[in-house]
Amino acid sequence: MLQLLLFNITNGLIIGAFYVLMALGLSLILNLSNVINFAHGGFLVVGGYIAYTITPYVGFWGALLIAPPLTAVIGLVTERVLIRPLYGRDPLYSLLLTFGLAFIFEDGTRFIWGAQGKPVTVPAVLAQPLSYEFFFITGYRLFMVATVAVAVTLLFVLLRYTRLGVRIRAGTLDLETVSALGVNVGMLRSLNFAAGIFLAGLSGVLAAGQLGLEPTMGAGLLMPSFIAIIVGGVGSLTGTLLGGLLIGVASGVTAVFLPAASEAIMYVMMAVVLLIRPRGLLGEEGMMT
Amino acid sequence: MSKPTSSTTLNRRTVVKAAGAFGVMQITSPFIIKALGETPIKIGMVDPLTGVYAAVANNEVIGAKFAVEQINAKGGVLGRPLELLVEDSANDVGTGVQKTRKLIERDQVSFIIGDVNSGIAQAMAQVTAEKKVLHVVSGGHTDGITGKDCKWNVYRVCNTTRTEANSVSDLLFNKYGKKWHFITPDYAFGHTLQQAGLANLKKLGGTMTGNELTPLGTTDFSAYLIKARAANPDVLLVLPQGSDMVNCLKQIAQFGIDKQIHVAGLQQELESLEAMPPEARVGIWMFEWYWKQPGVPHIEQFVADIRKRSNGKVPTARTWFGFTSVQTYALVANHEKSLDAVKLAKALGNFELPADVKLQPNKCYYRAGDHQLMTSSFVGEALTKPAGDPEDLFRVDHVLAGDKVNPPESETGCTLNWPA
Repeated sequence: MLQLLLFNITNGLIIGAFYVLMALGLSLILNLSNVINFAHGGFLVVGGYIAYTITPYVGFWGALLIAPPLTAVIGLVTERVLIRPLYGRDPLYSLLLTFGLAFIFEDGTRFIWGAQGKPVTVPAVLAQPLSYEFFFITGYRLFMVATVAVAVTLLFVLLRYTRLGVRIRAGTLDLETVSALGVNVGMLRSLNFAAGIFLAGLSGVLAAGQLGLEPTMGAGLLMPSFIAIIVGGVGSLTGTLLGGLLIGVASGVTAVFLPAASEAIMYVMMAVVLLIRPRGLLGEEGMMT
Repeated sequence: MSKPTSSTTLNRRTVVKAAGAFGVMQITSPFIIKALGETPIKIGMVDPLTGVYAAVANNEVIGAKFAVEQINAKGGVLGRPLELLVEDSANDVGTGVQKTRKLIERDQVSFIIGDVNSGIAQAMAQVTAEKKVLHVVSGGHTDGITGKDCKWNVYRVCNTTRTEANSVSDLLFNKYGKKWHFITPDYAFGHTLQQAGLANLKKLGGTMTGNELTPLGTTDFSAYLIKARAANPDVLLVLPQGSDMVNCLKQIAQFGIDKQIHVAGLQQELESLEAMPPEARVGIWMFEWYWKQPGVPHIEQFVADIRKRSNGKVPTARTWFGFTSVQTYALVANHEKSLDAVKLAKALGNFELPADVKLQPNKCYYRAGDHQLMTSSFVGEALTKPAGDPEDLFRVDHVLAGDKVNPPESETGCTLNWPA
């Protein structure tokens, strides 16, 4: 039993790492622009399908490099054309817009690539388990965790040590003052949105290798990411990181004792956090740490 | 001063006009009668064209549309063309019911087909029974539809979960072993399928090492697979369907579990096999219909016709479900020379499908006692490498006749209450 528990904690951390990548993208956009991006799962799916389409020409590694920035460009255009006009309005408007966009992305991918799922084959070098004992730790899953670790590190470096990052963090605290200091807030929001969508695109490529592709997959992966943000604390990227890992582990451990509740446990955690500490575990309103 | 006119006064002009009108009526009346004869008979189809079942639902629609095309080319139903109206249930019970009502009340359809989702199909059946409209469930498998919740007006083309379990259990037990571990989707279909498999296992003298209930829409099965492997069964039965099954089998292959434990299931579909990478296509399964049946009359033509209408893709069991549902209505209506729902529903009891519709070797008929189609089960193995055609991903080893694997009528729990 102890071994089973340890296996599932390790497994939960691996799953949680994926939620972290999704949730960080969502969190970036939410913190600076106050946009609850319900279309984030749709961008993930688009990223995955772009990778699927270009893989025959550039291979898996090429797709991993090309698909996320292409998805970010689509995100940038979406932000400039559709979301920007709503910044001055109640956040409900952008929420409804992205909610509708999620359906458009789902039907759009279905129209272009068909309703039937698409298999995505990962490189043979990553396809095997590490050992007979640790069969659930495959090369691909380790690669996913490593990619997430690199992406998260780069994001934190960007936010802490670059001019753009400092402006994003400052904008999260007080966008009006940042604007008064001469920063082009429109450009800042666009770049921030594109960075968030880049992470969604990267998640899409990684998910495609792990799960395959189908138009509805974004919706299933979106909710755990929202829960990670709420549990970790809205406004805190470190909190989002912690939230993602916690819900992954909680889900894995619950699967040992009560498999049917392994998804429900995430919602229970969210409810408990909202009741006891509504701002989340590391959340400080308006702060990005 | 003009003369006052009277409405009753007849003059030459009036007579000429009346005669002219009469003459025109004589010429046009045959055309009017003919136009009535060309008024289409509307039939409605409700299926989840969006959502997780979109791929299978769209194949049902392709099959239904082809059947309409074929029937109309042969003169239609009672000399009138069929018109198929398709509505999206969006995989939601409320929407499915609303669309069914709309088809019956506003569009005045005389026949309903649907849904892939068992829950929606059952809810639709309530509406069609209330409105006294003949209804064929094309793709919802839960036992109740032709079991305890059966209705006088509802027939079903696809199989029950019990039939699926009966088709494979003996083979799995004898070939793979007697300790089974289930991975079961946590909703009505999954529960009834698992219960049927477990009942057969117990009858055969085997044991269950565990049953992992997985929420619908699960993307990561690793936690369940860790538990399943720790239980060390002979057979791991994968019961989720659609994208859940694809994800589960893909992860089984990634973890190499299929090299240590026999992997199998009670139902498989071509749509799912095509969405998997080759290494995930393993194990013994049951197909409800398969496109490659050498020597079976009419099948090659059917496959060729569907390929022309679906970008070269072969028909799946779902395509055949849609095709058969529409053909059933046309056949029985033409046979009975009536569109009356009660009359047609009664006539469908023990109604046998002809060779160009059944497209399988065994006798295929609707059982009178529970309204379930007795259709063959195609049992065999999923193929890692396609056998020639890229879509030939399953090797059929046994074709079992429907009335051999279905439970007897007396065990279904169905009691039909006919309208007075």
